[in-house]
Amino acid sequence: MLGIFLRGCLLAFGLTALAAVSSCTPRDAGPALSSRAGAGETATPIVSLRRLTFEQYQNIVSDVFGSPVAVVGQFDPLVRTAGLLAVGAANATTTPAGFEQFEAAARSVATQVVSPANRGTLVPCTPQAGAASDDNCTRAYFASVGRLLFRRALTAEEIDMRVAIVRAAADNNGDYYAGIESGLSSLLMTPAFLFITEAADGRPSKVGVQRLDAPSKATRLSFLLWNTTPDDALLTASERGELNTAQGLKRQVDRLLDSPRLKRGTAAFFADMLAFEKFAVLEKDSTLYPAYSLEVANDAREQLIRTINDHLISRNADYRDLFTTRKTFLSSALARVYRVPAPVPGGWGAFEYPGDDPRAGIQTAFAFTALHSHPGRSSPTLRGKAIRELLLCQRVPDPPGNVDFSLFTAPSPTLKTARQRLDAHSTNPVCAGCHKLVDPIGLALENFDGAGQFRRTENGAAIDPSGRLDGVDYKTAGELGAALRANRAATSCIVNRLYAYTVGRAASPREREAIAAFEKRFEGAGYRFADLLRAIATDEMSYVISVDQ
Amino acid sequence: MANHRSGSRMNRAGGIAAVLAAAMVLPAGLASSAETKSTWGFAVSSWHTAIYETRFMDECPEGINATNDEYWWRSLSKDQRGKLTNNGMTTQIGRQAIANHRGPNGEDICQVPTAVTDPPLLTVQSKTSYGLNLDGTSDGRETGKTCKHEKFTGVDGTPAVDNQLYRLLGCVYGWRSIGHVETAANGHRRTNGLGMILLEVTDVDDPRNDDDVKVTFYRSVDQFTFDKNDNPLPYSTYRIDYNNGTPRYGATLPGKIVNGNLTTESGDVSLPFYANYGFQTMRLRDVRIDVQISEDGSAADGILAAYYDTEQLWEYVGELGWQPTGVYNCPAIYAAMRKLADGYRDASGQCTAISSAFKIKAVAAFIRHGDPKTPTDVQAGR
Repeated sequence: MLGIFLRGCLLAFGLTALAAVSSCTPRDAGPALSSRAGAGETATPIVSLRRLTFEQYQNIVSDVFGSPVAVVGQFDPLVRTAGLLAVGAANATTTPAGFEQFEAAARSVATQVVSPANRGTLVPCTPQAGAASDDNCTRAYFASVGRLLFRRALTAEEIDMRVAIVRAAADNNGDYYAGIESGLSSLLMTPAFLFITEAADGRPSKVGVQRLDAPSKATRLSFLLWNTTPDDALLTASERGELNTAQGLKRQVDRLLDSPRLKRGTAAFFADMLAFEKFAVLEKDSTLYPAYSLEVANDAREQLIRTINDHLISRNADYRDLFTTRKTFLSSALARVYRVPAPVPGGWGAFEYPGDDPRAGIQTAFAFTALHSHPGRSSPTLRGKAIRELLLCQRVPDPPGNVDFSLFTAPSPTLKTARQRLDAHSTNPVCAGCHKLVDPIGLALENFDGAGQFRRTENGAAIDPSGRLDGVDYKTAGELGAALRANRAATSCIVNRLYAYTVGRAASPREREAIAAFEKRFEGAGYRFADLLRAIATDEMSYVISVDQ
Repeated sequence: MANHRSGSRMNRAGGIAAVLAAAMVLPAGLASSAETKSTWGFAVSSWHTAIYETRFMDECPEGINATNDEYWWRSLSKDQRGKLTNNGMTTQIGRQAIANHRGPNGEDICQVPTAVTDPPLLTVQSKTSYGLNLDGTSDGRETGKTCKHEKFTGVDGTPAVDNQLYRLLGCVYGWRSIGHVETAANGHRRTNGLGMILLEVTDVDDPRNDDDVKVTFYRSVDQFTFDKNDNPLPYSTYRIDYNNGTPRYGATLPGKIVNGNLTTESGDVSLPFYANYGFQTMRLRDVRIDVQISEDGSAADGILAAYYDTEQLWEYVGELGWQPTGVYNCPAIYAAMRKLADGYRDASGQCTAISSAFKIKAVAAFIRHGDPKTPTDVQAGR
């Protein structure tokens, strides 16, 4: 993992940018490879690095510099690991093109910050006579901005380096703001910004177990609840050692839970858990599904996020009811796909499916049925697999490489429905095992075609959505929702996922006991997600460094 | 009649919705129960003057009509042509405005179509046409409100069809199937939605057979939605054009459905009409529709027939004479229009309306009544 750091710096050297070079000088990068030290502090060992996601990058820039500054581009994709991209972020591979994206993003942000339109509000320093920089102001500015970007106080060396960059660039360009721009680029291209860096505090809580240091704790908490860098209040609390007391930690957790930013954090978690990165490559055959468009795809993602946030945060409702709820939010484009009236033409509005509508629960939403389908047809197997893996945290083996799919894909006058085709396909004993796991679940959603639109028949034959999930029978997609609601794996799954999301790695066997306790507290709180967040965020276990690390 | 709720009412798009529960929405094609009345909505996605064309243009045995430009060109000597057209370099479109002013005193002959007397318009000679019997006669004889005219036989064999608008414009290039007047007008209507007509069918007991339904005509303030292939998408939601709390348009006709074929009784209806950069409220009289609704309720296709006010028709045709698409001869059309007008005879004996038929296609739509409420962040789930 630390190799990424070195490789990144080497590649950045190759990119020739002044900021990139300066961000990877031995003085800057060297200590960060194995330890870090805040101003006046003893060096602490780094225990994990997680690359920022593009959304986190956007959130940080927005929170630090405000909405006038936009982030464009895209970063290298992360690899889903143990069910989460957040875990994959700890094993990120960054390509040369990926570093170019970091550079481009950094330069773009820095340019926008110092633009004539923004510099008056975003840059507190003004040039002295000519282009000469005010070193004191520059120093204070970078200490302040750098603290938010690095999620810790900058060392004196780190600040000195930026002051030197600003001075040199201002002299070279005859423009103080060009100097600020270079200094900011330098900060934004530094691994300390691009990677969520966690370090141990060096004081074992018990034999063989270490805890995160204060800045790491604040960072973990902030990314869990807000999906962004800690704000000034959280960093201050961390610097004062308040996060090391149960009361101080609870005070900050409560503050973060009460913030509107909580919905952003919740959205990020569920987007990860529900594999929304698949939207980036979602395609549908426009001949078969003319109602599908990029707008529909974007809105479908947004629909689920709004539904989840409304259900879990605004109404503080039972998590399990997400599988049966009829309350949602629709845009005009989505209403067209669902064939219901748009609640607010041209905009978004609350909508409740009528009692006899086949849609109920997040698993019947376009963002589930269409996302887990093929471009030209539905897929009970993909949908069943998604429910098993994403909602129940159960592993479904990949199919063997030599599977003959012709029985399923070739047109047949007798095998008209997916159920009939899968039955024929599953006579192969090699395939039967896995299909038994996933098909009955996916077949319950067959009333929704490959683009999530309701249908009663397939190729003229009536669709039979009945089946059985872990011993519970159902006859409709709605009843499947009830079966999911009653399945303990669903509540266990979200606890496990949220814990892994918090700590950035799959839970180790030694943490099973703690997770079981979280599950119990979740149940005791009526499966309220905010209570689960609070339980995890206030538990010391969430800030302990696993011995497996 | 319909499902009112909080000042807002929503119908079912093409399919069926229970009348008394605005949120009650069933999938298209699902039959309603006998106890509930339903409401359907359609957005008219295509509107064309109904021109019946044969493969060899038998309906126009003398060919297509000459244009203003051609008459003007014929009236000039070679020297005059050279002087007026930059030695022949000005294009037809470029000289259209000049050609239009060929009145004896420089009058624009589309604004003053009686300023010159041109050869008569070549009119349709066919015996077959789209349309409906509007005057109720079998032979087109003069009645208390109509003028004597020739009848057509319907394309489907229906006897005594009235469609003098076809007789008038069927041999004018712009109104034929590839003519710019019609294609541009329909294209503009689709893209800007200014003249989008909504049809609401209420009091539906049975989606395939119901002898007592009502059809109401509205204008939408929302634009069409299309798929990637530029086909109108069904099941979109459209808001009605309101003025001081009531729909700006909203005439209702009684009707019936027989095997999915929706027809109405006759009545006066005002409709929004946008074509070739001009908007008007069409005052149509004795309107009737005859459309077939698809089995799944997602589309409708058929005819709207009516008497079209000739002053309004000329308002459109005369103004269009300035447009690049206005490639026809105004004086000849105007004279023929007066001659062929067959409805609503005035005291002088001149008929002031012309029997017309329009081919319409519609897609299922949700029609939202009432002024839309501004969504709050909470309503929108932010």
